[in-house]
This record gives sequence, structure tokens and C-alpha cells, in this order.
Amino acid sequence: MASQLSQHIVSAFDRDLEGIQAHIMKMGGLVEAAIRDSAKSLESRDEELAEEVRRRDASIDELDTLVNEEAARVIALRAPTATDLRVALSVLRMSNNLERIGDLAKNMAKRTGVLVQLQPIDGAAASLRRMAREVELMLKDALDSYIQRDPELARDVIERDRDVDQMYNTAFREFLTFMLEDPRNITACMHLHFIAKNIERMGDHVTGISEQVVFLVEGAMPEQKRPKADATSTDPRFSPEAGEGED
Amino acid sequence: MYDADQNRTENRVGQADIKIAAKNVQVYYGETHAIKDVSVDIEDRLVTAFIGPSGCGKSTFLRCLNRMNDTIPICRVEGDIHIDNEDIYDKRVDPVQLRAKVGMVFQKPNPFPKSIYDNVAYGPKIHGLAKNKSELDDIVERALRRGAIWDEVKDRLDAPGTGLSGGQQQRLCIARAVATEPEVLLMDEPCSALDPIATSQVEELIDELKQNYSVVIVTHSMQQAARVSQKTAFFHLGNLVEYDETEKIFTNPQDSRTESYITGRIG
Repeated sequence: MASQLSQHIVSAFDRDLEGIQAHIMKMGGLVEAAIRDSAKSLESRDEELAEEVRRRDASIDELDTLVNEEAARVIALRAPTATDLRVALSVLRMSNNLERIGDLAKNMAKRTGVLVQLQPIDGAAASLRRMAREVELMLKDALDSYIQRDPELARDVIERDRDVDQMYNTAFREFLTFMLEDPRNITACMHLHFIAKNIERMGDHVTGISEQVVFLVEGAMPEQKRPKADATSTDPRFSPEAGEGED
Repeated sequence: MYDADQNRTENRVGQADIKIAAKNVQVYYGETHAIKDVSVDIEDRLVTAFIGPSGCGKSTFLRCLNRMNDTIPICRVEGDIHIDNEDIYDKRVDPVQLRAKVGMVFQKPNPFPKSIYDNVAYGPKIHGLAKNKSELDDIVERALRRGAIWDEVKDRLDAPGTGLSGGQQQRLCIARAVATEPEVLLMDEPCSALDPIATSQVEELIDELKQNYSVVIVTHSMQQAARVSQKTAFFHLGNLVEYDETEKIFTNPQDSRTESYITGRIG
């Protein structure tokens, strides 16, 4: 297992790999904060905080570029093999996942800027914040599983994505109900729905990160299928008009 | 449905056709137990790499495959080595004939102090492979072409082989080794004295040779093993630690000693 391996004879190799992984962890911290603060700004209708989330996304993007460059350098100069190769490959994919989560959080923050101009929808922001909180905890555990090289914890995170999907299903139904009740809710609910979808996508990216941990430690992608509990695109019960039409 | 996994496996290694079967091989140099109970099946028409730290026994084991260790008085070999189901340590086997069938290329290019032509012609002559001069000429040309050196030497076949550059000398030695139409080619660090260009030429040559031969190469360069071989065996302290598809060894080795060695850790 990676964590049990001793150091390289060429110590600069260790420093290179540790450096890249430190960037990933820094990115992880920034992304966790972006999820937390974008959800918080939504609930507290805090435009300033939303603006800050948008600004901070640039640092995440910079780190992503840095990880890509340094991983390419390690591959070119040190020709990593086995665990070292998997570290180089996994940081590339993880960095990509984290960068995408950052973008989704930034998009949430943008929509917050619009939503504060609109009439609030009862309970929506609070349930979205709970959903975001769940994803943030998943991300924290996924990053911990990376540090500890713990594939079991990573698998647990993958399973928890099911909860996020179910929360998204619930949100989808709620927003639909609000819109059916009163067309004046449509603009806000459309934005809220995109936010819910953003959070659901973040969960998928966290799943991607967790899969990389399994790959890194075990040398193969996890055998378990990703839980797919987002039924809104396939189950007609989520689309009442379509359901009625079929009767 | 497209089965990517199956496809990949087929591309990697074809039908396993065992050329050399070694079973429970032990080698002793006097009191020293150099090879400890090594069993390995080497497949035909692909390149097998032996890797491992200095003194791990990889060269010793390679030399068992054409009985080169017979020339070392204190060396004792036990166990079974079969090539094409024939026991090569059987008393009836003539080591000279065996070495015509199992050719060898050494670390340092060692052309005979003779002309380029004679270097290649020597083996076929003593094994009586040519009936007359024109047949011998054909054999020499074919071998030099297979050694990927024909174009460079065809106008000076009478020049001494020792006058060639290191990389050319090594390709001349490979041509010499293939001139007797061997079935197995053993290479003991064939590129360690060569520059990167000559190394690439020899590696390209190895890749071509595997169409016709079973090639076994001992190398200290892990990158070379990864580049040229389809199967890799890792030796450590006289033991065969792991033997698997090269891709597997270099991406996901099963033994922690293999992992430590190929990733350059103190193992």
C-alpha cells in the first residue's frame, strides 16, 4: 500500500510527489470553503459573500493548472511506475474534479446574486444548504481517504452520493410544486433548481475523487457501480404533465 | 457490445506458447546458493525481461538457459530446464549445438578480431549451414539485414569488425547471433554500453526479432524492460519474486519488493 512504502532513493522524487499532493489538499480546502460559503450566502442572502466565492474561484483554477503542469513534469522527467504512476494519474483527475466543483459553487454564487432580487421561496435555501452540507462532508471524507489511503472510506463516500441524489429528487419535486402553484415563483425556482442540480453534480465529482482513491490504493477502479438515484430524468412521476399525458 | 478489456488483453499477449520451461532450478557457486528454486515458463515469439538489483541472479539464470554456466567449474545447476520439451541438461545434449539454437548477446560488444563478414560467417561455417560460398554470402547478408546493420557495412565487409562504433559492433554481434538461425535469443544487458540512439536501434531490432524468436533480455534499465518486453520477471536475492505481464508489473505489481524496486525505493 502506498502509505507503507518507504521513501525514494532519489529524494527529489518524493518532494515532487508530495508537492503535487499538497496542492491537491490546498485545492480541496478551498473547494470545501467554496461549497460552504456559496450555500451560506444563498441562505443568508449575502451578496458580498457570494461575490467573494466568485472571486476565490480563480485560486482554485490556478492550482488546477499548477497540478496539471507538475504532474506532466513528473511523468516526463521521472517516468513514474506502479504507485507513483497512479499518484500522478490520480492527482490529474482529482484536480479536474475539484476544479469542476469549484465552478459549480461559483455558479451557485452567481445565481445567489439574482435570487436576492427575488421573493424568497419558503424553506428552499435551507434544504439546499443541507444538501450542500452533505456534499461538503463527503468531500472532506474523500480527501481524508486520499491522505490516509483508505479505500473503505472512499467506498463509503461513493455510497453516500445516493443520499445527495435523493435530496435532489425531493428538491426537484418541491420546486415543481411551487411553480405549479404560482407562476410568479418560476424565475426563482428555475434558479434554485439549477443550484440543486449543481450540488447534485458536485456529489458526482466527489464520487469521482473517491474512485481515484480506490484506484490509487488498489490499482483498479472500484468494482461497485456508482449509485444512481437521480430519477428526475427517467421517472415520469417527476414530470406530472408527461405522466398525465400518458394516462 | 465492445469489450475493451478483452481486446486489450489480446493485444498484449497472444496465445501462450511455451518455449522454455524451467522448473525448480537451483544454482550454486561453490557454497553460494545463487538461484533459489526458480520456476518459470518463457513464451515463444515475445520478449521476456529479467530485472532486479545487481547480484540478484538474473544473469546467472539467463546463462542457465544455454548452459553457459557449464564453463564455470564451481557452478552447479539443479532442476529441470526444457526447451521445446527437451531437457537441455540431458547428457546427450551437445552444449555447442544447444548454443546454436539458443543464441546469446553480451553486455559488451565482443566481435571477433576478424572481418565483418567472418564475424557473421563463423557460426554458420562451423555448424555446416552453408554448402558453398554463395549460400554463405546469402546467410551473412540475411543476418546483417536482420541485425539492422547491412546498409552501414555492405561496402566494407572485409573491414575488421572491431573498427565499427560501439552500437554497430553490438548490432554486428546480434547479426552474428542470429546467423545460426537460433530459436531463442538471450541478451545480457545488450545496451548498457550504447548511446541512446544505438539503444533505440537495438530496441527496434529486438521488437522485430520477436516475430521469429523467443527473446530473453536482462536489463538494468527498467524503462528498457518496459519498452521492449511483454513479460517481466523480477529477481531478488536469487528468488523469482514476481513474473507477469510487463504492463502489470509496471502499473500494479503484486509484491511489495517489486514495487519498491521499480519505483526506486529502498526495499
